[in-house]
Amino acid sequence: MEQHQSTISLVKASLLASVVAIITLVLFILPAEYNIDPTGVGQKLGLTVFNEEASDSAGLTSKAGKASSGEQESVIVTVPAGRGVEYKLAMQQYQKVAYEWMTDNGALYVDLHGEPQGDTTGYFESYTIATSDSMKGSFTAPFSGSHGWYWKNTSDQDIQVQLIFSGDYVIEGLK
Amino acid sequence: MALTSFDVLAHGVDDKTRNFLENNSGVHILPFIYIGAKHMVTGYDHLLFLVGVLFFIRRAKEVLIYVTMFTVGHCITLMSGVLADIQVNAYLIDAIIGFSVIYKGFDNLGGFKRIFGVQPDPKKAVLIFGLFHGFGLATKIQEFGLPSDGLVPNLIAFNVGVELGQVLALIFILLAINIWRRHPSFMRFSDWTNTALMSGGIMLVGMQLTGYFIN
Repeated sequence: MEQHQSTISLVKASLLASVVAIITLVLFILPAEYNIDPTGVGQKLGLTVFNEEASDSAGLTSKAGKASSGEQESVIVTVPAGRGVEYKLAMQQYQKVAYEWMTDNGALYVDLHGEPQGDTTGYFESYTIATSDSMKGSFTAPFSGSHGWYWKNTSDQDIQVQLIFSGDYVIEGLK
Repeated sequence: MALTSFDVLAHGVDDKTRNFLENNSGVHILPFIYIGAKHMVTGYDHLLFLVGVLFFIRRAKEVLIYVTMFTVGHCITLMSGVLADIQVNAYLIDAIIGFSVIYKGFDNLGGFKRIFGVQPDPKKAVLIFGLFHGFGLATKIQEFGLPSDGLVPNLIAFNVGVELGQVLALIFILLAINIWRRHPSFMRFSDWTNTALMSGGIMLVGMQLTGYFIN
């Protein structure tokens, strides 16, 4: 720690460190991490793409945020090869949803589960865990929060799932 | 917009890890060692701090003392944090870890002696930041929502994994620094390196604090 530098160069180093950090944060990190892009540079460089990916790339008709009208909903979810996706509904405690889903091409690992509202510990409760190409059933939310399906595609081809559901919920959509 | 805010931390785990945690309960020593080691080796904020700590340390004995202080610090908070179920906001902890990187860069530039006229005990500093780093790890492992079945052995295994990961990372960092030290460029660029370290720390703090305020 024997440094031979003057106070001025120390201050210079600190200022330089701060300026570089702030520029990098504003231009690159914040747009990519949080979609905060005051300069528009993140958008130009395509860095904000991470924040759009969830709703667009999986080929979903986006209906996130729409409340149920008692009618049946039908969505097509693409589960990319070797990856997992989630489709979630926000439900109040004791609300019920009936559902049916089927794939176009082989079986998926599925975990139908719920996460309590406001929980940050990562806790979730699984209602059904299986590997199947179709499933039909219903569930009643044991607690208020986010409920839905996690599908995992272990094959080397993309698999599409048609999901049909009805009941009481607000669609959160693909995660 | 409460609906969008609560899933942010819920799945900070990659698919495979999630699958594993979801489908298993009971004691699993080796998988938890692996997860612990992976967290350490891929945790760039911890690694930056280690680079800062080791930058001016030459002798093996000194390295051992500093690493032990850091390890003691994070073992204490990692174990007690999970067992006592202490929840600390992950963004704030990560911001403090970012701050530890700034601190070490500034310290390496001789900043404390120069500006404040005193040199804080670097060993104590490493211990204190070790405590915060442990809280960060504790918060991360709590995000997994581990079953209480087999929690303690799994936790110890995770901790062992963290140490193994740290040793692995240390070997590479020490090798790199020691090779570089033989070249004249080391002293020439040491100020630049520590300035860059500070800059990286400021980026980490900025990123984590932004995350804290928007979530």
